[in-house]
Amino acid sequence: MSATAAGRGLLILGRCVPCLKQNASKFKVRRLALDRNLLMYFSEDEFIYAHDPEKMCKEGDVALVQELPQKMTRLISHKVLRVVYPLGDITDPVTGKKVMQDEYRDDMDEVSRLYGESKNAFKYKEARDRGWQEDKKDFSHHESYVKYHEFEDDDQPYAL
Amino acid sequence: MPFMKGNAPIRRTLKYLEAGRIVFRDRVKIFTVNYNTRGDHHNGARDFVFWYLPQIQYKNPHVQINTFKNMTPSPFIKCYLDKGEEILIDIDSKTKEEVYDHLRRVICKSDSQLAAELVAEEKNPANFGFGCEKHCMCEIPGQVPCPGIVPLPKPMRGKYIYNKD
Repeated sequence: MSATAAGRGLLILGRCVPCLKQNASKFKVRRLALDRNLLMYFSEDEFIYAHDPEKMCKEGDVALVQELPQKMTRLISHKVLRVVYPLGDITDPVTGKKVMQDEYRDDMDEVSRLYGESKNAFKYKEARDRGWQEDKKDFSHHESYVKYHEFEDDDQPYAL
Repeated sequence: MPFMKGNAPIRRTLKYLEAGRIVFRDRVKIFTVNYNTRGDHHNGARDFVFWYLPQIQYKNPHVQINTFKNMTPSPFIKCYLDKGEEILIDIDSKTKEEVYDHLRRVICKSDSQLAAELVAEEKNPANFGFGCEKHCMCEIPGQVPCPGIVPLPKPMRGKYIYNKD
């Protein structure tokens, strides 16, 4: 089932992972596969490349991905429909408010206002869009590898 | 139940999996449950996932089922239909039975529809070949018997028709 699982799904929910391709985003699709001996479902991950020319998906976002009627390239078989849960900026669909884990951002602001706001506190309303620290302090947008040699002239920021 | 270790191993029996009655409509492609690991109003959601998710996946093998934990304060279920539409079901402070019944009424095939599909799936006993009751035409009463057991009469055999001297 796992070999052709992603190919069979017309609509898939996947989490964006780092991808170096220019017009595509790579997605990790998590499905449940039945272990026939234990009769138990275990998560299995599969990776698919989806056409995303505007790069609307960033790493960690959960997006809705649709299968293309014909494969665009050898690897790109899907296209991105929309981002469902952007990382760090989730909107609770039931109330429509912005949340952070199990708290509403409005409640967090209210609490910090009552206690007195800290100077260094993170302000969601004034925060810049994701990606402004890329290649400066944030190196998670790139595929990473285990460092095998220390080079003098190369900092190797994407290595583990 | 041999080799039945773990928490509530009855969930891992074939009888339990096949007893699931949630069969989604054809348009439902993705089924996601968002819930938290802590919080009393998430109890129903947690129980629903614990007890019914294996049954649901067993009965709907082509639906992608995902769970998202600790993302929002309130638990909810989201179903994605084939054209990208979403169905949002709020399961805050509901018991697992209430969630189950709600799903059955909203996005599942009705019992009559399932029964009709079962009847339509029944195999035609007259068919023969791979996956059928009869493997070959020769097994059917009234047909020519298997030439491997009972030789065909000479006028029907090629070696006699084409070798006439």
